[in-house]
Amino acid sequence: MMTLVSACGESTDVVESGTYQGTVTKVVPEKSEIYVETGDSKTLELYFTETTTLTQNGEIADFSALQEGQQVEVEVEKTGKRLDPVSVEILE
Amino acid sequence: MLITGTLTAWIAIYTGNLADGAVSRTICDPTVLKSHENAAYTMSWLFTGAVIIDIIYQIKNSSFNRILLVLTLILMLTGSGYLTYTGHLGASLVYQQGAGVYKPTEDCSEFE
Repeated sequence: MMTLVSACGESTDVVESGTYQGTVTKVVPEKSEIYVETGDSKTLELYFTETTTLTQNGEIADFSALQEGQQVEVEVEKTGKRLDPVSVEILE
Repeated sequence: MLITGTLTAWIAIYTGNLADGAVSRTICDPTVLKSHENAAYTMSWLFTGAVIIDIIYQIKNSSFNRILLVLTLILMLTGSGYLTYTGHLGASLVYQQGAGVYKPTEDCSEFE
């Protein structure tokens, strides 16, 4: 069912390298991917890499700790038009 | 043929979703991939709609048959347009960004 509706009509934004706070709007565990909506309504599509660090309460967390609706702070590096998440911190 | 094409379109979307994670991490402009994906979904839904209306047309003899035929034709033409666009974006991903392309080593050692 997810195949039928997933990515239907989604649009994402490209932002400059830096740190952003936002809300996790979608988590795709099988792809280690999350979508984050920032305060200025930008939607960031972030594919975790081998070097992406995920923390919660100051400790390293597993990807499974990410849930929709969580507030996060993400540091991204823009390469071309690709956003690589350097770090993701779960704020709540 | 319409049903076969529609089924294979959804199979293509399924296989594309399998490759999505790996490809997105390597290309320079994932926005093209997102557009390719969205166009593929739109195309598949348009053809699915055409299939449904065609089935209704086949089994139900009604005064709306002519309308159903025209609707099916419109959906198929629009779907074909999206198919062309999806293919164009897919080609762009492969030929401009090398999406999913294996890059051999300089000395081709893996082919010996």
